[in-house]
Amino acid sequence: MSIPPDLKKSLADYKHTSLFWTDLLFLMSNKQQTITATGPFRKFAVTAKKLSTETIEMNEDMTEFNSRLTAYYKQLADTWNEAQKEYSRKVPELPNDIENMEASKRIWIDMFENYFTKLFDSSEFAENFGKLVTSELEIAKHWNNMTAALLESANMPTKKDMDEVYQELHSLRKRIAKLEKIADKEVT
Amino acid sequence: MANEIRIDPKLLAEFITLNKNILEAPNLAQSLEEINLEVTPYEVVHSEDKVRLLHFSPLADQQMKTPLVIAYALVNRFHIFDIHPKKSWIRNLLTQGVDVYLIDWGTPTQINQHEGFDDYVNGYMDNCIDFVRKESSSDKISLQGYCTGGTLSTVYTSLYPKKIKNLILTSPIIDGRRDSTVVSNLAKHMDVDKLVDTVGNMPPELMYYVFSILKPFEQGMEKYLNFFKNIHNKEYVENFIRVEKWVNDTPPIPGELYRQWIKDVYQDNLLINNNMYVGGKQISLKNITVPLLTQVAVGDHLVSPECSMPIHYAVSSDDKTLKIYPTGHVGMIASSFSQKKVLPEFVQWLSERSEKK
Repeated sequence: MSIPPDLKKSLADYKHTSLFWTDLLFLMSNKQQTITATGPFRKFAVTAKKLSTETIEMNEDMTEFNSRLTAYYKQLADTWNEAQKEYSRKVPELPNDIENMEASKRIWIDMFENYFTKLFDSSEFAENFGKLVTSELEIAKHWNNMTAALLESANMPTKKDMDEVYQELHSLRKRIAKLEKIADKEVT
Repeated sequence: MANEIRIDPKLLAEFITLNKNILEAPNLAQSLEEINLEVTPYEVVHSEDKVRLLHFSPLADQQMKTPLVIAYALVNRFHIFDIHPKKSWIRNLLTQGVDVYLIDWGTPTQINQHEGFDDYVNGYMDNCIDFVRKESSSDKISLQGYCTGGTLSTVYTSLYPKKIKNLILTSPIIDGRRDSTVVSNLAKHMDVDKLVDTVGNMPPELMYYVFSILKPFEQGMEKYLNFFKNIHNKEYVENFIRVEKWVNDTPPIPGELYRQWIKDVYQDNLLINNNMYVGGKQISLKNITVPLLTQVAVGDHLVSPECSMPIHYAVSSDDKTLKIYPTGHVGMIASSFSQKKVLPEFVQWLSERSEKK
């Protein structure tokens, strides 16, 4: 299930209008802020613009996420209904006493297990689930960007900065390990 | 009366008993936090970052000189190999005179996100194996890899065949294209680049999700009903809590390692086609010439037998054995069946191919 073209268009219009006014308001207030604030206030204005831009862009991804989530729940609900229908067809054939309770519970579990395993094994399910996770990650990316903007405004390291440190540490460790191996060989 | 509802008194009695058992449960079972999963004593003989090499204390006179190194999987912790004294893979090996080491990958954090196959195989694993070779004065060791540990062990043996005497692969992930499990289905449709680039390590939540859809009704409902029904069975309850604690302890997987594992093994199927590269070197399964024992389980719903078995045909070893067991992924290593059937056959195979003391 993807976003209908009409909704896509109105989302694009909304995004454009929102970005236009965010930019314009930022530009209009920029001059005064430049004159009156050279430190954290100016930084805050830039951050505020980044935050609203990210929020606007996140809306589009939220729509995609919701549409994937709806498709995901629909797949689950449809499968449940089909399994329940088949079980209901079987129920009148089952004796209704305690001795057979265990057997009928087993039949119910097996039936539902089969239907759901078939669903989870299908490429339609995996494809939608993959896209659901991807759209969630898109939202996470905006969230990361917003957090980074706030951290930057407070002169604190962002996730990107930390990743660079981790990367550097990783390559340093590798170099040390390589040098240690060379040194060991020379000793022996 | 026409509208009278008739309930079988036995059914009502069972319902009342179940409710009584639920109320009594907190007095009869420990909480997950109270359980200590460490069963067999061991010593940490080597460690590097979060990775630890465990050496288990002998429980009998050692019969074999060649030590066995177990490379545990990347999913969950190693405790399943030693989950309960009566079902412990490790304890069984020790009582049969095997010298057992185990690589515990620990719990990676964001600082480990750039570690990939190269770091795991050429770094951690090679250092652990070199340590064991030195400590035991053995040129070669026997290597057992379980699940994703099987994938790592396969790659390791292809790169360092001279350090390995015997290779044992238990449910290894080898041929992702042939894997018919739900895990493989989801892996094939995942944008792993986006996942790793955005969140760093593979989050445990994703693994919990995969576990939850494996057998949702049996594992999600019946398992707990049976737990309450058997609440007065001390052994059943203890075993249940131990396994639950193990299932719910999934560490993250380092991002780069996860990326390469999903892409090279599941999506592009490079390992079985001898096209996977680790540390700049091509992995050829033909380099594996050592005696190989492959153990697969027919009921494995995490790694299907079709995914594991191709290794048996892909290696160059003359001495190779394929064992297929009527059990599941965990049942293969932590069950009464594994104690009675899998382990005796495993130890016999190993003993015939190891140096004696």
